[in-house]
Order: sequence, then structure tokens, then C-alpha cells
Amino acid sequence: MNWNDLEAVWKHQELPAGACADVAMLKNAFESKRRQLAMALAVRDWAEASAGILVAAVYARIGWAIGRDAWPMVTAIIVILMVTVFFVRERIRSRRKRLGAHSPLLEKLNADIAELDHQRDLLLNLWRWYLGPITFAMAIFTLTLLRVAIIRLPPELWATLLQQPLIWALLIITGTGIGFLLWFAWVINRKAVQKRIEPRLEELRKLQRELIGSP
Amino acid sequence: MTLTPDQHLRFKSWLEDHRGILVKVIRSFAPVAADAADLQQELLLQLWLSLPSFAEQAKPSTWIYRVCLNTALTWRRGTSRREKHLAPEAEITQLPSDQASPAERVADGELLEKLYSAIRLLPASDRAFILLSLDGLTYREIADITGLTENHVGVALTRARKRLAERLKGVTHELE
Repeated sequence: MNWNDLEAVWKHQELPAGACADVAMLKNAFESKRRQLAMALAVRDWAEASAGILVAAVYARIGWAIGRDAWPMVTAIIVILMVTVFFVRERIRSRRKRLGAHSPLLEKLNADIAELDHQRDLLLNLWRWYLGPITFAMAIFTLTLLRVAIIRLPPELWATLLQQPLIWALLIITGTGIGFLLWFAWVINRKAVQKRIEPRLEELRKLQRELIGSP
Repeated sequence: MTLTPDQHLRFKSWLEDHRGILVKVIRSFAPVAADAADLQQELLLQLWLSLPSFAEQAKPSTWIYRVCLNTALTWRRGTSRREKHLAPEAEITQLPSDQASPAERVADGELLEKLYSAIRLLPASDRAFILLSLDGLTYREIADITGLTENHVGVALTRARKRLAERLKGVTHELE
């Protein structure tokens, strides 16, 4: 038996009769799936974007109430909005760059690998574009509040406040809590890279190597 | 994205005319029945989603091969379980061929089963090359589907056939 015989057996294999798929049913199922997916993506995008806008609005409202002395808060607001814009821009970029399943295999594979690589870099450098700017904005906000309090509160009140253990406890708990949250965000993103992105990237790279025939 | 009536008709005719592609891809990439159902639904979904991008510049079969192979190559077993009630009518059914005698059908069926088993043991990309080659596509068509050059396709096919021959030892010879 040679290749031609195999080809003949292959071509004469038993196949399903014509169209027995209920296209209307497929349509309903796929449309509802597509709507669910679109809704999930929209909710995620809006949640990410609106969180930044909300924080910026809170900062702006507090700054407005304080008046001119709160001018450094403008920097914090700009930084928070820049992070939000970055988020939204990333989403748009990712959707535009995504190739459809009808693309040639190698082209699609290369695009998928490039995108996953990019996502991995983003998550590994979370401090650079997300946690760092957020921490910087929070620090500016807190220091501005502190500065305004020093200017506006009578010195005797300060002395009394600083002698209260409760005040110190609150400051320490808040600081530690924020630090823990930032650390936690960093850790779960690193874990996502190690457990999900890197194994998938390795699978796709293996496939790419196989396809182009390199060892 | 809602399909136009024309696209709706095209999808139906694709399923009528090119269902064999889906069957072969599914049998080559998903050996277990539960996985086969999963992959089948994924293929149908991806075909459905790709339909609006079809501009009639490509042959429908080339387009369908691309969608099916892209999906099958990167499909992850068990990660995309679909509702089992989805499209029960779209189950892959085996109908008897009317071109061979019962004895020939049994012999061919056994050989085909061995062939599929051997194909499933190949690396994923080799499976794709073998499938396209067995379906009689030219190097040019395979190059269109894979995005490789024709020379590259030739090399990849030789390699894939060699590997298939190793797995089919005792059943066939002279495959290279």
C-alpha cells in the first residue's frame, strides 16, 4: 500500500449526509453566546475605566473643597486618568490586532504569540504602568492632605492628635493595608503569568516551531 | 454581529458542501467523543463568527480549512466545554458508503481507523499537513492555508509523511 492508496481510502471515507445541522438553532445558540461574551467584555472594560474615573472624581471633589492649597492633587488626578487611558487604549489595541480564525495558520500563530508576549510583559511590569503610578497618585493625595492639615489646623491640636495612640494605629493599619493590596495585586498577576500565560505561550511556540520545521 | 440572510444561506451551504472538512479535522484532533463534541461546537462557532469576513476572494474550502485548522491547533481540551444541548442535529453521523462492497467497506474502515489513530499520534502541525495532503490539496493551496512558502510546504509534507509512515509500519509501505 502506498500514499495513493491511503489517499483513495481517505477520500472514500464515510461522511455525514448533507446539511443536517439546524442552522436556526445554531444561530440562536451562537447569537446568545456572542451577546454574553460582548456583555462580559463591556462590563470588564467599563469597570476598569470607571474605577479610574471614579477615583479621579473623588480626588477632584476633595481638592475642590480644599481650594487652592490642594493644587498638587491635579498631578494625582492626571496620573490616575493616564492609567485609565492606558487601560482603554490597550483594550482597543488588543482588539484591533487580533486576527480572525480565517487567517493563514502561521500568521495567526505569530499574532497570537506576539499578543500573549505583550500581555506577559504588561503583567510582569505592572509596577511601571499601574501600581507605580497609582502609588504615586495616592502618595501625592495623602501628602497634600497632610500639608493642608499642617497649614490649617492649630499647632496645639496637632500636638494632641499626635499623642493619641489611636491615630497612630489608624495610620499604621491604613498604610499596611494599602501596601498589602499593592503587593497582592503584584503577586496574583505574577501567578497569572506563571500559571496561565507562560504555559500557553510555550504551547504556541512549540506549535510555531513544528509548523516552520525548526528543532 | 448578526448575519445577513445571504450569510445565513452561505453558512448552510458550507455545512452541506464542506462538512467533510469538519469531520476529518474533528477525527484527527479529538479522539474522545466528549472532546469531539466540544471541538465540533468550537469549529461551528468559529466558522459562524468568521462568516462576515468572508469576501469571496478565497475559495470557501480554503477558508473553512483555515478556520478549522486554526481552531483545532489552538483548541484546548476541556477548556471550552459547550452546552451539550447545542445543535444535537449537527452531530456527526456515519452513513454507509454506496461505492464499495460490505467486505471492502470493513477493510477500508479498519485501515481508515488505523490511519486516524496514526494521524492523532503525530505532532499537531504534521496532522494538519497530512490532512490537507490526503484531501488532495496542491502545495499552492496548502501554502495558502498555512502561510508557508510552497518549498516549505514540500519539506514539511515529506517530514510529516515520514512520521506517519513510521506510525503505520506493518500497515503500509512506500509512503515517502
